[in-house]
Amino acid sequence: MNAPAALTRDRGRAPTMRFALRDLRGGLAGLRIFLLCIALGVAAIVGVESLARALNDGLGREGRVVLGGDASFSLIHRRLSADEQRFLEAHGSLSTIATVRGMARVASGDAALIEIKAVEPSWPLLGAAVFAPSMSLDDALGERDGVFGAAVEEALLARLNLKLGDVIRIGEASFALRTVLVSEPDRLATGVGLGPRALISQAALDATQLVQPGSLVRWTTRVVMGGPNGAPDNSAVQALMGQAKRTFPEAGWDARSRLNVSPDFSRDLDRFAEFLTLAGLLSLVVGGVGVANAAQGFVDRKRATLAILKAIGATGSGVVALALLEFAIVALIGALAGAALGSAIPFAVDWLFGSLLPIPLAPSIAPSLIGLGLAYGLLTALAFSIAPLGRAHDVPVTTLIRDLVEERRGWPRKRYLAGAALAGAALIALAVLTSPQRSIAAMVAGATVGAFLALRLVAFGLAYLARRTPQSRFVEWRMALAAIHKPGALTPSVVLSLGLGLTALVALTLIDANMRAELHDSEPGVTPSFFFLDVRGADAGAFVDFLKRETPGVKISETPMMRGRFVQLGGRPVEKVKPSDKVAWALEGDRGVTFAEKPPEGSEIVAGEWWPSDYSGPPLVSMEEEVAEGLGLHVGDTVVVNVLGRDISAKLANLRKVNWRSFAINFVLVYSPNALQGAPYTELVSAALPSAAPDAELTLMRAVARQFPAVASVRVREAMDNIETLVAKLALAIRAATGVALTTSVLVLAGALAANRRARLADATILKILGATRGRLTMMFLIEYALLGAATAAFGVAAGTLAAYWVVERSMQFDFVFDWRAALAAAGGGLAITVGLGMIGAWRTLSQKPAAYLREL
Amino acid sequence: MVFPAVAMRGVDLSLGRGAARVHILRDVALTIGKGEAVGIIGASGSGKSTLLMIMAGLERPDTGEVEIDGVKLGALNEDALARFRGQRIGIVFQSFHLIPTMTALENVAAPLELAGASDARERARAELKQVGLGDRLNHYPAQLSGGEQQRVALARALCPRPSLLIADEPTGNLDETTGRAIIDMMFDLPTRRGATLALVTHDSALASRCDRVIRMRSGRVEETPPVAVSV
Repeated sequence: MNAPAALTRDRGRAPTMRFALRDLRGGLAGLRIFLLCIALGVAAIVGVESLARALNDGLGREGRVVLGGDASFSLIHRRLSADEQRFLEAHGSLSTIATVRGMARVASGDAALIEIKAVEPSWPLLGAAVFAPSMSLDDALGERDGVFGAAVEEALLARLNLKLGDVIRIGEASFALRTVLVSEPDRLATGVGLGPRALISQAALDATQLVQPGSLVRWTTRVVMGGPNGAPDNSAVQALMGQAKRTFPEAGWDARSRLNVSPDFSRDLDRFAEFLTLAGLLSLVVGGVGVANAAQGFVDRKRATLAILKAIGATGSGVVALALLEFAIVALIGALAGAALGSAIPFAVDWLFGSLLPIPLAPSIAPSLIGLGLAYGLLTALAFSIAPLGRAHDVPVTTLIRDLVEERRGWPRKRYLAGAALAGAALIALAVLTSPQRSIAAMVAGATVGAFLALRLVAFGLAYLARRTPQSRFVEWRMALAAIHKPGALTPSVVLSLGLGLTALVALTLIDANMRAELHDSEPGVTPSFFFLDVRGADAGAFVDFLKRETPGVKISETPMMRGRFVQLGGRPVEKVKPSDKVAWALEGDRGVTFAEKPPEGSEIVAGEWWPSDYSGPPLVSMEEEVAEGLGLHVGDTVVVNVLGRDISAKLANLRKVNWRSFAINFVLVYSPNALQGAPYTELVSAALPSAAPDAELTLMRAVARQFPAVASVRVREAMDNIETLVAKLALAIRAATGVALTTSVLVLAGALAANRRARLADATILKILGATRGRLTMMFLIEYALLGAATAAFGVAAGTLAAYWVVERSMQFDFVFDWRAALAAAGGGLAITVGLGMIGAWRTLSQKPAAYLREL
Repeated sequence: MVFPAVAMRGVDLSLGRGAARVHILRDVALTIGKGEAVGIIGASGSGKSTLLMIMAGLERPDTGEVEIDGVKLGALNEDALARFRGQRIGIVFQSFHLIPTMTALENVAAPLELAGASDARERARAELKQVGLGDRLNHYPAQLSGGEQQRVALARALCPRPSLLIADEPTGNLDETTGRAIIDMMFDLPTRRGATLALVTHDSALASRCDRVIRMRSGRVEETPPVAVSV
């Protein structure tokens, strides 16, 4: 007879939640590491995302002040035309600033590159500039006894050894340093430059004579509109932007509104946040090893309870559901704690460093980010716990009455493996789908899964080797090897948890080291030491002669340079073009353009043909191959670029592959000379000095500043130092995020060692009873942990190096250099952590008296 | 048609692998009538506990057939077996096996809750009163004496009103006086409810209280002596 229908219906699910909560009342013993791992990973993800959102929101909320108006129209080389001016005036109050690079010179002959910002008396229309000592704008910048005033950043005072009251020369004018510029409300919108800021008046800018036809001056006009509460609503702002575009389609200006203050900054921020989020995700995955360990321990510890439940009517899948529910509850608690901590980070940053940040922070509690963090936490917990908890299905009830129990071994049932795979796939899908750069997120996810599988293989291989190593006559060595391969050994936990963290650390350390090495990679006589901007076409010959005279043996390269903005590509307006991620930068702001009779040095024609040197037909243009590809352009397409307020339409004649490392000056766009005929331009001159001595560079810079006051000298060494400082700051943030992953590794490792302690104690007690001294036991533990740590470190260095090599060679496209010191430091650290943590546990084990343990049995 | 409470035919079971394989039950045939109390005695390793496990559907025989109340256990899948056990079979272990994180009341209510009973707690409370623990409802196992824990285990086994109560050395971990009280309850309550009792014990005095005693030797049911034989 078959079972009555009522008995085959599953009525055992309803009390699962009650049972789970009852069981958790007993405390979180064995689940604390799991809880911490989830909390840390979620805190890292929610923290990074919340901070990025607070920055973006701050930018949005304060957009009007940061932009300096409701709308801003920026032009290079030229000011607004009378029509444009009239049009904008009809919409609100206008204020224009001019920004240009220049040299500040002092009586001693010393000079420094500065970022000049020339303002009108009404500046700033919104927000306030902070001067120290505090004074009015007129007092700071006005002309007194034939000398203009300037407010400069502290850095300039330090660079040129100046104090307030001293006089400097900029171009053809003298300036008294009246006050220190502490902050400008519109700093972000004007961008961060290569030198310290010098604030001067526009009358003073005229006096410097730096503004010449073709010189790289950017004129930015802000419109402050009126509205019901003193400001227009968003639709009015959008209407102005639309109208401006329709009325002046060929203006070639960079038009921004307060709704979109700095799209490139926002995008860079999102990308950086994305990178840090992936690092946070890595820490969650490392924590997943802790989750799996906790799940394994849970089934072992709760064996009796699970068997009793089965004895009184719970099904196999019912007890797994119960275990999973308990894990989900703990994961939820961990994820909630992590989300709370992560959400608090922007508030803490605002409170601690708010006044130091150039961007206003607008911290807020973002339910969507908290939801994202919870989803990451729960999916990680599920992905790593379903399979080990699935073993509860087959816990035999007969374990309650006798020891001889036949148990299902090997893999958990297929349904649990499928469940774990599904949760893992959902985790990857979540990471990829919520990422602004899906291909990179997918790559990182793939690499993590690959590293995970590789680490499992390493653990398996290590255990296999330990089992196959010929028997040694040294007992300690033999016992240590046995501990590595015996069932329930620490090997997989150590290798997996520490291996992933170390791989990430080695990869980031090597990428960082390679970037720094590349920044400082210079070859005297080949690598330019200087770029000179704004050398007027008429002065170019004299300037080059001057350089040759001052520095015999100097290698000079000169190229005409203008700035232009893409308007149309292949017949499509630039707004409608969807560039690939890699070349999106080309459509933002303006690009340097040049013209040439012959292909520039360091580039190779890969499609189409170069024009004859006496070409006089319709305008032609040559484009860098990768950019053309990213913009979907082919030879023969028409490219319209606005240069100096004029739309220049040219046919794409050829594509160039540029070796950017050749140090020759190269531009994305090179026109046939006739295309830009008659346009005023300045020359960009590079100079590679025969000697790398800093003194020679300083001497040349001072001489140039004296003889050609309008020429801005960009010292490559200084620019690289600035970039390196920025890279170091970013690297610090990346290290902090990776640090969370490493902390999780250590937590997981500590948890695995603690869970293993009881078994260790049993082994050690028996060995002590059999006559092993503490010295021999210590040696045994030491050998075991050293072998595990060394194997893991070796993998971490190898995999991390491989990842760094790939990024450096493929993505950054420069030669990879292996940094032994960085790799050894990471490997040594991994070894030290394993041996250190292991020996702390061993010391506790060894200090326990055998009798005390035996009494407990 | 009236089915026997337990019917086993040709039951064989071996455990372990290779050289470690042990033949535990050999061609066991056994029938227990409804309402009957049967004592199972035998030396350690003779297979008596395993016989109980097979009777409870906790172990599947290599060969042979087991019917409880006319239901062929071999025909039930694992989940159906679990639900069948929850409703028809009560088990009392030597080591009590209460769930340490649940109170006495929760332990007793657990099988009813698993079976989806809406009045689980009321019935559990009443059952605990029956075994004299009405004032210990909210105590955890660790707060109860051994005798009290075994009474909770008995209440848990009896609460779903099983038709078969299986007990494996129920007094093995208790002192004599406490054990006797438990045994009194174990015989009294199921009998009043018409349940069948299968009891494994080393204690011949205890076995003698059963309607019938069977002896296991080397995995075989060796004899089925008449009721009053063993004292």
